Amino acid sequence: MTTKYANAVAAVKAMENTLLTWNDLEQLINAQSRAEINSLVMAKKGEENISTEAVWEMIHDYAPDSKELEILLYKNDFHNLKASLKAMISGKPPEKYYIRPTNLNLHHLTEKEYDSLPDYIRNTAYEAYDLIVGTSDGQLVDSFIDSEALLAIQKSSESFGGDFMRKYAELLTVCADIKTAYRCSKMRKQKSFLERAICGSSELDKESLIRESLNEPESLLNFLEDSSYSEAARLLNESPAQFEKWCDDAIMELAETARMKSFGTEPLIAYYIATEAEQKNLRIITVCHEFGADRETITERMRKLYV
Amino acid sequence: MNSLGLTLAIIGAVCAALFAGIGSARAVGLVGEAAAGVVSVDPSKFSKVLILQLLPGTQGLYGLLIAILLLSRIGVLGGGAADLTTAQGLMFLAASLPIAVVGYFSAMAQGRAAVAGVGITAKKPEHNGKGIIMAAMVETYAILALLVSILLIYNIAI
Repeated sequence: MTTKYANAVAAVKAMENTLLTWNDLEQLINAQSRAEINSLVMAKKGEENISTEAVWEMIHDYAPDSKELEILLYKNDFHNLKASLKAMISGKPPEKYYIRPTNLNLHHLTEKEYDSLPDYIRNTAYEAYDLIVGTSDGQLVDSFIDSEALLAIQKSSESFGGDFMRKYAELLTVCADIKTAYRCSKMRKQKSFLERAICGSSELDKESLIRESLNEPESLLNFLEDSSYSEAARLLNESPAQFEKWCDDAIMELAETARMKSFGTEPLIAYYIATEAEQKNLRIITVCHEFGADRETITERMRKLYV
Repeated sequence: MNSLGLTLAIIGAVCAALFAGIGSARAVGLVGEAAAGVVSVDPSKFSKVLILQLLPGTQGLYGLLIAILLLSRIGVLGGGAADLTTAQGLMFLAASLPIAVVGYFSAMAQGRAAVAGVGITAKKPEHNGKGIIMAAMVETYAILALLVSILLIYNIAI
């Protein structure tokens, strides 16, 4: 039984007290202005809202030797690869499209120094570059990179991740694959496109998803109805926003399983996931306020909380 | 003089101090790591987590106590070591084992429970006492082992 990261986990448990609760969210939803939202957040957290980048630096400082934690940033790393290629095509500087935190030295992406990138993204960078130069199909390159990101997350979580990280990788893949398959089915995408865009996982295999995506969306939904993701399929049919919420909530439910642990990386990963969800909730509240959405609409879009 | 008997008895005293002490040192260190994590975020919780850190330190003291009692009983501390047979030496060695073995494992188990208690203190400081009680429950078995070791040491005929 591991006793690693006792220090980091205890620190994270102390930091969990500053995460927003449902009561806090309700106050934020009822706030009348952006200024009131900011003051409520400051009252809870005691300072300006902490970015996910700052949270990442904090947990990484507590567990600097954990390669498992770095898997959490693969999504951002691959996003940054997409940003650098899009910036190259549009002739704009990529810096403002990059998101942080990231495992990459962004200078290597900007300068196309792909040899200097970590193993998990190097070949994808070369292939994506050739693909965008050869086809100029931004959508295809986006889908290819997204699929490769999921594959990298799966491989790394198999190599040096625990059960928790493997489940996280599986869940991320399933959610992304269902969304891609549904969109491709609606847009009647070719098999060659689907083969690049769908990643596949042990729960929803690639071949079956591609086969069903080549038919009408109803065929795909019927296929999903028979899987353990029938609820997700029903929501996807009703509203893509509800499906997105279902995916985020499923990941949060997984994160909750780590909340009672005193050792290991799981509580650290869960805390990072919790702060991402919190940031998303704050963004939703802010945007909904700006567009004058009513209280019920904002409430039904709120993601599940960790605390 | 049968030096083997005396040597075995002294090994018993060493085992009691050694294993119970190692267990306590590891456990106190582990809880200390967790406690430092909480204090780095919220220094006001120092006194609450300190109690939890101290809990698994008792096994080391029990080991020391048994070592002193055993050395005293065989006369090593007084300067006139008893002439022990091999069988008596083995009996003293066996007498030290309860606290040596149970002390080590109970300290480690108590350390883990205390780390969980540190987690309670971090999130709900008002329930700190519950964390202390849960960790203290493990102490029962160290005390039972201490009792058995003391009874054996004082009832082995020399």
